[in-house]
Amino acid sequence: MIQFINTILIGFTSGAIYALMAMAIVLVWRSTRVINFAQAGLALASAYIGYQVVQSISNYWVALIIAMFAGAALSALIEIAFMRLLLKHTSSGPIASVAPIIATLGLLGIIKAGIAMIWGGQYVVVKPPLSNTGFSIGTHTLVFSPMKLAIVISVASLVLVFSLIFQKTNIGLALRASAFAPEIARLAGVKVDLVRTLGWALSGAAGAVAGLLLTSNGNGSFSPESMEFSLLLISGFIAAVIGGLESLVGAVIGGLVLGLVTSFVLMYISGSLFFIAPFVVLLIVLFIRPQGIIGVKVGRRA
Amino acid sequence: MHKLSNKKRLGIFLLLGVAIYFLSGAVDELRVYQGASVAVFVLGISSIILLTGYSGQVSLGQGALLGVGGYAAALMRIHYNAPIWLCFSAAIIVAAMAGGLLGLAAARLSGPYLAGTTLALAVGLPSIANQFAFLGGEQGLLFDVGFPPLSLGKDFTQYKWFFWIASLATLIAIFWLQNVMRSRYGRSWKAVRGNDVAAELAGINLTRNKTLAFTLSAGLAGLSGALLAMTIGTVSPSAFPLSLSFSLLTGAVLSGVTTLGGVMIGAVTLVAIPEIAGAVASRFSSSEAVTNNLPGLLVSTLLILTVLFVPNGPVEQLRTRREHRVNK
Repeated sequence: MIQFINTILIGFTSGAIYALMAMAIVLVWRSTRVINFAQAGLALASAYIGYQVVQSISNYWVALIIAMFAGAALSALIEIAFMRLLLKHTSSGPIASVAPIIATLGLLGIIKAGIAMIWGGQYVVVKPPLSNTGFSIGTHTLVFSPMKLAIVISVASLVLVFSLIFQKTNIGLALRASAFAPEIARLAGVKVDLVRTLGWALSGAAGAVAGLLLTSNGNGSFSPESMEFSLLLISGFIAAVIGGLESLVGAVIGGLVLGLVTSFVLMYISGSLFFIAPFVVLLIVLFIRPQGIIGVKVGRRA
Repeated sequence: MHKLSNKKRLGIFLLLGVAIYFLSGAVDELRVYQGASVAVFVLGISSIILLTGYSGQVSLGQGALLGVGGYAAALMRIHYNAPIWLCFSAAIIVAAMAGGLLGLAAARLSGPYLAGTTLALAVGLPSIANQFAFLGGEQGLLFDVGFPPLSLGKDFTQYKWFFWIASLATLIAIFWLQNVMRSRYGRSWKAVRGNDVAAELAGINLTRNKTLAFTLSAGLAGLSGALLAMTIGTVSPSAFPLSLSFSLLTGAVLSGVTTLGGVMIGAVTLVAIPEIAGAVASRFSSSEAVTNNLPGLLVSTLLILTVLFVPNGPVEQLRTRREHRVNK
């Protein structure tokens, strides 16, 4: 029984981080129809920025917020300086559909190499600010620790802020309108280009928080070659696909579902399936419900 | 592409083979080893060109298929002590079967979905080696093709032997691939890439075509993986990392994904860049962190520049420019 509860709690925590990443992917997908594979690089960059800030002022939470804004700025910069150029240059031709994918992979490579040049290739540690020893109930010790609780709370508050922005503000309305029908939005006076950049910035913020929280979910050590960030990207992508790739609510649900499923697989089947379990989940989702859990099936545009 | 008759092309390939034969005698060990790497990359890149350029599907998980081929060859060698050519055939067949399965799934996906799925595969598959004991875990398995036969002379080195095997396998595979591209299947792939709805209306079975492309591409990748395993001497999860998949994709983009003609460009670049980066870094006597990561930075920058400015690759670019001039 205690194992069952533990499994759910672990799955819930990692699911929350996946959900953030999925939101980041969905935001970019909705604004520019691109899956941003450089998101893994952004998450890594934010972890290193967090590391740098913690080194100098040794306050984790300030570092988290600074990393969030830095991630937003970096992501917006990529959109302005790069994606606009790319979409203009390769809007037609045989590799038009592949070019954005390849380009974001190239960006990923540049970001990773840049980070390794600045901070070196060895492991660095951002010590999690709260204890990672679990709460205990009576004689049992749960794996759910104060740090994990803080992660869940951080993610929940960020999701809350995002949904307030989307549902209650004019900016949110503009974001939704340009995603839904860019041409009509433009006619209605929405500055679609600006809104696009904003979508990327929000995505960068979510991805950055996900990156730093990911390191704190473990022992806090990472290097430019850490597989965790690739896995975070994949998990975020899979969570987004489970949620239908269009909806932020779907992304959050997808993240939690994926977190729980992988947690149960690892706990009850085998721990070494860590890397392959997400892939299997993705295949199953794509075969059973390719439009996602809450997505609506639309005819594919040729 | 100007049309050549089959006989002429066979002649060209034979000439290439003879040239490689003499070349391998003329250059030093390191170059011979790099030559073998080029052959490995040529195959890996061709497998991506076949998939992306000709059938319009993008795979970020080609490295995983190379891994499948490498493991299949090593297992054949270890358990059945099979001759080399049989090991390579096994690599092709097993990888092609894996690719066929993947292709069945992939045929239902498009664009970003397929990219994400294959990426997940590239991350996940190498870890399977840790799951099953017969795959040797993190250390992996030995893959030893044996010493060169004595009849080749005493000073015939191991690397030269690798190089010969790799080039011969690559030449044969590329010749075969060119034939496939010019066949009915090649033409239907191009049609699907151009406009899949129109192709379907013209009576092309999309699922079957895409699956076939995936299968053949995986076969090539498997052979490439077996050759790679031969040059390193082992197969292990770390020999087929995510970065291998990315390198191959980069090579394919540098070569131009729409034609096989430039495949050498990408392969040579991939092999040459670490050396160029090393030379540049030592010239400016920079720190170790910079030196180690300069190749990655160069490759990624090249990739982005290519996508931005010569999206169809240098060969295709030259040809369209020439056609322009002729038409004017």
